[in-house]
Amino acid sequence: MTASWKQLFFQILLLVFCRHINTKTPGPTPPPLVADSPLPTDVRSAILKGESHTEKVEVVNPVNLTLECTWAGNRDKQPNITGLWRKDGEEIENSLLMVQLENEQYNLRRVFNIVNEESLGNYSCLFGNEARIDFVLAAPHIGEVRDKPIVGYVGDTAVILCKMEESKPKPSTWNWYRTNGTNKEQILTAAEPHRYKIVNEGEKTKLLVHNLTEADSGSYYCAAVYPIGTTMGHVELKVITFFEPLKPFLAILVEVIILVAAILLYERSRSKKNYAAGNETNDQSNTLTQGENNESEGSSSMRQRKV
Amino acid sequence: MQQAEAESGVMASKLLKKNMPPAAATKLGYTPPDGGWGWAVVLGAFISIGFSYAFPKSLTIYFKEIQEYFSVSYSQIAWVSSVMLASMYAAGPVSSILVNRYGSRPVVMVGGVMVCTGMVLASFGKSIVHLYLCVGVIGGFGLAFNLQPALTIIGTYFQVKRPMANGLAMTGSPVVLFTLAPLNQFLFDSFGWRGSFLILGAIVLNCCVAGSLMRPVNKTAGQKPKTEPAECNGAAAEEAATADTGAQSDNLLTEENQSEGRSQGCVHRFIDVSLFRHRGFLIYLTGNVVMFFGFFAPVVFLAPYAKHQGIDEYSAAFLLSIFALVDMFIRPTTGFLGNSKWIRPRIQYFFSFAVSYNGVCHLLCPLASGYTGLVVYAVFFGLAFGMVSALLFEVLMDLVGSHRFSSAVGLVTIIECGPVLLGPPLSGALVDIFGDYKYMYYACGVFMLVPGIFFFIMHYFNYKRLDEEKRQSMAAEMRTCEETVQLKMSQDEKADG
Repeated sequence: MTASWKQLFFQILLLVFCRHINTKTPGPTPPPLVADSPLPTDVRSAILKGESHTEKVEVVNPVNLTLECTWAGNRDKQPNITGLWRKDGEEIENSLLMVQLENEQYNLRRVFNIVNEESLGNYSCLFGNEARIDFVLAAPHIGEVRDKPIVGYVGDTAVILCKMEESKPKPSTWNWYRTNGTNKEQILTAAEPHRYKIVNEGEKTKLLVHNLTEADSGSYYCAAVYPIGTTMGHVELKVITFFEPLKPFLAILVEVIILVAAILLYERSRSKKNYAAGNETNDQSNTLTQGENNESEGSSSMRQRKV
Repeated sequence: MQQAEAESGVMASKLLKKNMPPAAATKLGYTPPDGGWGWAVVLGAFISIGFSYAFPKSLTIYFKEIQEYFSVSYSQIAWVSSVMLASMYAAGPVSSILVNRYGSRPVVMVGGVMVCTGMVLASFGKSIVHLYLCVGVIGGFGLAFNLQPALTIIGTYFQVKRPMANGLAMTGSPVVLFTLAPLNQFLFDSFGWRGSFLILGAIVLNCCVAGSLMRPVNKTAGQKPKTEPAECNGAAAEEAATADTGAQSDNLLTEENQSEGRSQGCVHRFIDVSLFRHRGFLIYLTGNVVMFFGFFAPVVFLAPYAKHQGIDEYSAAFLLSIFALVDMFIRPTTGFLGNSKWIRPRIQYFFSFAVSYNGVCHLLCPLASGYTGLVVYAVFFGLAFGMVSALLFEVLMDLVGSHRFSSAVGLVTIIECGPVLLGPPLSGALVDIFGDYKYMYYACGVFMLVPGIFFFIMHYFNYKRLDEEKRQSMAAEMRTCEETVQLKMSQDEKADG
């Protein structure tokens, strides 16, 4: 009786271990270990060639994500090495394993349930203390957003634009937030319809702020909402009065007037001097020119006759 | 009798020894200063021409934000630039008429004020149509009132050093563009588009300063001595003027002459349409109309072509900077070369060479591979573009003469309006149809090479005809000289006998 119990016990142990070993073989997508969930599945793999490597993973919808790490090892290829998974720097429970060297490679694979915004983050697989691959899981980053402040004028309208790249998936919707001190407050058009207007066009969103006042200056955030979470883009709005550009305008206007006046006055003074000097010489040359004029009149009439 | 013959012989030899007039008869009636205040005028022209060409191009920086602000498509906003350019070219004849009537200085100052007003009004704009009118129409007209007078006044101040002066003045365009581009970016970041338009209005008011430098040339100082035949006649006429019968017919003829002069003056005060019978002007016009189809398009498409080849945005923008720098330095150099004694008499060939070289450059562009190839192309294209630009108006002055230049340039710009506006969109259509830039470059190359060769051939014939006409007029004058001397001799004999 005891022998059969021992056998059973050993069999169970073997089964557990063998199962564990079996799942370490590298190859095409095996069925996920976490069974029966309606979530879609996806695989991301990375091969480490140097010290560390970072892979960016865009997640739009909740998914069961399998992350695979492959490492070629270092010079002294030990048969066994510790494998570990971390999320945002903290060790994931029960993830420490012994990795066997197979085909000159070490492999680590684990499936993660990415369901909400908390599941997103920085996932790392570590081989011993030497090699690390990072997977950065995040919702799609907003492509086009202005990094320099947008300038608006008091009483005018400001248009703030956020645009997702054409190649990335479109967000379900867009939200706009505005900082009030340290808090982010959502801008609701229903509350102030004549001041704020949000126009959502798939991958683009526009926030129109009418009747600007200086209090409207500050940080605005456009949030692209995806099933998995939201990504934020930051835009700064600066509201100034019309007197700001008016100052350089007047300065340049004054400069132009001064230059024009200077040039024209200089010319006037030069011509006065010439006139005064010229008067003397004019009287002398007058008699001469009269004589010349008579000649030229005569000669032109002569030419008329010939031609 | 022998004495008379000897005298006529002496007169004839004196005639031949005098200097030959330049290629196009100037008939200015005064000696252009060729220096002195002329260089200040060149500075004024530099500023005016610079703003005229560079201002529409530099406004494109604001288009993206204005497009978002008014919620319009890109092509609608690009119309602002096109309307401005179209107004600038179409207002050419108006500008010419005003310059013929009032001189350069008032027109330039009015032009500067107009552009300023246009920009200030535009900064308060509430719709895109408002921008079309203020920036496009008013601004364009103002720039036209800057361009024509600036070109005209150089012709009145310079004769011997004119290619140099023209080359220097045309350098204004790349220099002002180079300064305006980063300045516009800075203004945009600090003040947004409305404030920038306001400040640009003030900056453009500096054209008034340029205008104030354009002092009308002093036509009384340095009177050119009457032309040689008149001199020759003058000596004989001293005697003839005493005859009574001669005097009466003189008066009648001078009156006729005066009335004729007045009617001609009327036409000249507006615009000189008789230019359409001028051989050189027609050659220039036909060649230019074809050439302008392919002139500006390669500049517009240089950066997009580079990006199409896979080059990143900053390197592509750097190509344009290389192009602008080379352009900046080649324009005065071309002016200097055009002034040299080997090239000046046959400057039309130099221009034909420049146009053909442009064409060859574009035809070879598709062979350029990679970033280095494109840099080489940008350098050669910069050389070609600068050469043509520097000579563009100099050759027109050379053909029609300074006194008719104002009307000529007005007529030329309004006719060139079409190709200048149609060129880039047509090239864009070529790119869209074929999906490849090389066909556009081939087309532009052909559009420049054909006029270049046309210019070479036509100007060869034109020079021959001009030389022949000169010889004929010289011979005719020699004959009249001899005849008047003989008449004088016979009168002396009669008096003696």
